[in-house]
Amino acid sequence: MKSAARKTPDHTPARSAAGAVTEESAIEEPGVQEFGVQEPGVQESAAEESAIEEQPENPGEQTAVFPAIGDGGPVPMRPVLPRPDLPPAPAPSPAPPEAERDRDVGGDGADGTDGDEITVGDEVASGEIAAGDEASEAETAGAETASTEATVGETADDETTAGDEVAAEDVASSGDAEAGRRVREMPLPEPVSEALTNALNQLRGAVKGLHFGLDVPGAQEARKAQSAVLAQLDDYVIPRVHMSTAPALVAVAGSTGAGKSTLVNTLAGQQVSRTGVRRPTTSIPVLVCHPDDRDWYATGDLLAGVTRLAEPAGDTASGSVVLVPAPRLPQGVALLDTPDIDSVVEEHHDVAHRMLDAADLWVFVTTAARYADAPSWGLLRRAKERGARLVIVLSRVPKRSREVIVKHFGRMLDEYGLGEVERFVINETAVGEGRLPEAEIAELRLWLAELSIDDERRTAAVQATLNGVLNSFRARLPALARHLETQVALRADLRSDVDAAFTGALTEIDEATRNGSLLRGEVLARWQDFAGSGDLMRTLQLRRGAKGHHHGPERMRALKGALRAGLESLIASAIQRAAEDVVARWRQRAGAGDRLAATPGLGRPADDVVRRTARTITAWQEHVTELIRTEGVTKRSVAKVVSFDADSLSLIFMVGLLGYGPTDVTAGDGKGALPQRMLRGLLGAESLRSISAKARSDLRARVGLLFDEETLRYVDALDSVGIPDEAAATRLYQATYNLEVAR
Amino acid sequence: MSVVSTAHLQYGLGPRLAALARVVELGHGRLDPALLTDGGQLLLRAGDRLKLSAEHTVVALAGGTGSGKSSLFNAVSGLELSPIGVRRPTTARTHACVWGLDGAGPLLDWLQIQWRHRFARASALDKGESRLHGLILLDLPDHDSIRALTDPEADRLIQVADLVVWVLDPQKYADASVHRRYVAELTGHDAVTVFVLNQADRLTPEERAECVADLEDLLRREGVTVPRVVATSTTTGMGIDDLKAVLAESVAARRAAYQRLEADLDRLMARLTKEMPDVPRVDPTVDDVRRGGLTDALCDAVGVSALGEAMENVYGVRSADWVGWPFARWAAKLRPDPASSLRLGGVKDDIRELVGSSVSAQPAEVDNAVHALADGLAAGMPQVWRQGVLEAARSRSADLPGALTNELAEAAPPLNRVPAWWWLLKIWQYLLVVMFAAGLGWAGAVLAYGVFEVGRPPAAVLGDVGVLPWVGLMLLSVVGLGLLTGLASRNFVVLEAGKERERLELDMRRRVGGVAHDMVITPVEGELNRYNEFYGALGAARR
Repeated sequence: MKSAARKTPDHTPARSAAGAVTEESAIEEPGVQEFGVQEPGVQESAAEESAIEEQPENPGEQTAVFPAIGDGGPVPMRPVLPRPDLPPAPAPSPAPPEAERDRDVGGDGADGTDGDEITVGDEVASGEIAAGDEASEAETAGAETASTEATVGETADDETTAGDEVAAEDVASSGDAEAGRRVREMPLPEPVSEALTNALNQLRGAVKGLHFGLDVPGAQEARKAQSAVLAQLDDYVIPRVHMSTAPALVAVAGSTGAGKSTLVNTLAGQQVSRTGVRRPTTSIPVLVCHPDDRDWYATGDLLAGVTRLAEPAGDTASGSVVLVPAPRLPQGVALLDTPDIDSVVEEHHDVAHRMLDAADLWVFVTTAARYADAPSWGLLRRAKERGARLVIVLSRVPKRSREVIVKHFGRMLDEYGLGEVERFVINETAVGEGRLPEAEIAELRLWLAELSIDDERRTAAVQATLNGVLNSFRARLPALARHLETQVALRADLRSDVDAAFTGALTEIDEATRNGSLLRGEVLARWQDFAGSGDLMRTLQLRRGAKGHHHGPERMRALKGALRAGLESLIASAIQRAAEDVVARWRQRAGAGDRLAATPGLGRPADDVVRRTARTITAWQEHVTELIRTEGVTKRSVAKVVSFDADSLSLIFMVGLLGYGPTDVTAGDGKGALPQRMLRGLLGAESLRSISAKARSDLRARVGLLFDEETLRYVDALDSVGIPDEAAATRLYQATYNLEVAR
Repeated sequence: MSVVSTAHLQYGLGPRLAALARVVELGHGRLDPALLTDGGQLLLRAGDRLKLSAEHTVVALAGGTGSGKSSLFNAVSGLELSPIGVRRPTTARTHACVWGLDGAGPLLDWLQIQWRHRFARASALDKGESRLHGLILLDLPDHDSIRALTDPEADRLIQVADLVVWVLDPQKYADASVHRRYVAELTGHDAVTVFVLNQADRLTPEERAECVADLEDLLRREGVTVPRVVATSTTTGMGIDDLKAVLAESVAARRAAYQRLEADLDRLMARLTKEMPDVPRVDPTVDDVRRGGLTDALCDAVGVSALGEAMENVYGVRSADWVGWPFARWAAKLRPDPASSLRLGGVKDDIRELVGSSVSAQPAEVDNAVHALADGLAAGMPQVWRQGVLEAARSRSADLPGALTNELAEAAPPLNRVPAWWWLLKIWQYLLVVMFAAGLGWAGAVLAYGVFEVGRPPAAVLGDVGVLPWVGLMLLSVVGLGLLTGLASRNFVVLEAGKERERLELDMRRRVGGVAHDMVITPVEGELNRYNEFYGALGAARR
């Protein structure tokens, strides 16, 4: 277990700082590599090394070294003192003998209880983030190569390059990348800047135009992502494109209780942000800057959408930031104390993320008790995704276990692919007046001063983050567009559900009027009555000696009424079924459809549908009578002998059309169903066929119209949640592409 | 097991769980599947836990990474059992320490604690520890580190422990991972939840008081009405005894397991009863008015009254062919027939055939009738149950028109039926016709032989002019009798048809009612009973 085979390349890290040559050597122990203890004012270099571990369960053996910070001046060289080597055994003390004695529950051997325990945990962790391991090694190698000849300031840039996943395709040649970036530091040429601004404005419009109305799974996230992108464009990207060299904004973020405010207070040298034991402490972000920069931050475009406050005004003021000048801070660098990312007050998380999105550098603060928390790693992942320049502060580290913790955290970061990120360690000390002892943060102050003085370096850092953000748009914007496409597709699906249901209902009615199922029940009885009592035959009157008196109009009326009632109930039933069908289909659709289906009244026909159906049927019956009257020209041979009553004849016609189906119309003389034969005898086959076709298509059209009105209710329900613009996705893709071109 | 049964009686958990089982059973398809799953899981867990040792109380030390669960575990047990460390996360497997081992084995198996992580305190040997007898203390892994994202161990044990001790520390006590995921979810668990503010030595006494007050405020805001907060420190030993006292109290009461299950049940019931309907109980039988309404609507779908009218009319018309005055019929036949002039062929046969066809029900109207019934009955019920009632009503909807048709075909006489007395009357009418013809012949013979004396009459009576007035009288009366018979029997037919119609309609209504009862009412009543039973069980489980 201890004899893990490791690669320990012997190298003497040496590099030249601007002007003065500083040489340091890290003393390496085989088995355990040293963690650099950083003393105030001491410039220090350390080798970065990602050892190949064949036995990952051996904890604490991976190197994690804080990258060096140089202040640019000649500093007395000082080799790092080697720490007394810990035995490579795991840190927790083995179980005391009592444990052995009392362990009569578990008969298992007591060996390795402790070691194994930790190991399992580590394995899980490493398994999760091992993916980045290899990459980080390669990056490290690249960074090392570069660091031998690069200036201290440039080293920092290297870190960024390597840390920035998107931009790190070619890490080995980071020296070249370095050269490339220097060119870009110069103010953008006017046309390029204009093109970029235009592209960004277009992008902003496209993002703003997105509308996620349907509550499909993920819609909430998409809306959040949309507003995040919008806020970032307004707060950060658009202002930053113009003023890449303006003061840099450093956001201090991290878990609640990690000591963000304490850190900011200490750096500012005064009480700017409230500290305390209550969690969460900070609810309104506090922006601390040098008095000279105050105006720039007070009126600048950066964080344009956020209200500036002079002092905290209660917890309610969301979307605001407190602006405090602090002379102790160097010029050109402002600190932003953000709310936590993991407390019970969830609004804080959103505020923190918005602030981070607008920051040029992220200072991630975590503590010895917290560095394995899931939300913290979520933030680190976000930093990686956004390509933000990142600095990690490990605070509240107990002195006696500093070694183990720093090493373990370093290894976790390495495995996560963040091995090169600058790290600072702050010991756990007494906090007085909301501030740490100056000695603890000297290192960090130095780093800030560096950032303030070295314009080049600051600009590079700002540029790196800006590039990272623009790079992140490559993934974030298409994701938004894809979600919009999902919405459009879902809407189309929901719409087609409605159509399918009502088309089905129309087919049902067609079917029922063809297969004779309408000629049942009361309609049949009335028809039997009408025919059997001789009224049917009496509708035909011989011209010769026609007496003109009318038999049994009440029977005819009854038949007509029954036919209408039959048709009405047929349509009512079809509409009812269709309404239920739509709701059932919508319920099948994930999320959104379910909610829409719950709209009251959708599961049943509209209230006035009965009235409208009755009107439709009456109109159709009148139309048919009119057809018979105008087009039903009696055969000449018949007309001499027989006259007929159009009302009765149209009734017979309707019974024939709907009750018996159209199949018999074309049959020869003397064949087919009773009404058809009568009518054919009277009107002739040709005329009957044409009237039949017209009457049937008219009925279809009228019922279709009725259904369309019903369909409208569902479409209204769909529209009430907002109509996604199908072109918006395309516009977004186009804007994303334009942005890439403009860069 | 006696403890279990008395506890059941005492806290009424058993009947409530039984009612919940009924709810889960009846709620299938009527409740949110997630709720059903939760209910099923609670039942399983309660069943398992109540079967296992009631002498033991499972106390879980839960909390974020670095809050000092393992230190506290060691401090309470007085032994260095669980490894403590500075690297995060430290503990990956649950450790258990048992005070009083008898019967704890199966419980630990159920908790899935590995053998090598089980430790026992022989409580009798430890002075002053006897009050903790029956305690099973669990040191859980954390629930908020990146490791916990893939390891549900802590989550699982927090759900099953009898008493959960949340180990918080001044740094992390307000983390969303504790409050949103667990504390807010566990409202009502006051009796079985203890909060420990560990690492209290890091704070000054004033800070500690502020911190505890803030934590209590926070917990109250989240619905923990009486938060139990103990400030402890494993470095100074502060508060450990307080915690032990709290634990000892729970352990001695032997009630934590029931309280936990009760709290879980209460919580589940709160979710289940969130949307109680306006009418938690409906009349389980369909009342007579609705029954009558359905029968009426179905009769309309079959056309019962129209059928009756048709029968009356058609009988009236058709009887003319049988019982009517033959002379009138022959006279009508002489009139030209438009059907024949149109060469319509056997229209009459068609009509006869049509009239002979039997009744049938119209499917659309049947559907509407059934729907109207279900809609009226389910008013006030929640949507899913309305759907359920509708589905029950329609369960045999496809067969209903067919069944109605079959049933009524037996009842309704064909319209072309010919009663026997029609035949008799027809014979009588023709007899009268024959008599009339014979009378005419007689009168002719008398005229020929008696008046014009064309020859010798074959019989004296044929030549006797004196009988002529009598013969004339006879002819008149025969014709009159025929006419009278025709009219009378026509009236009789109509009267009969009216009676028949009444009888028929009654019969058909009865039959329709029977079919409706079998195929619609019975399934609907089943669903209504299920509804009542469901909400009854829900009420019983709610306590």
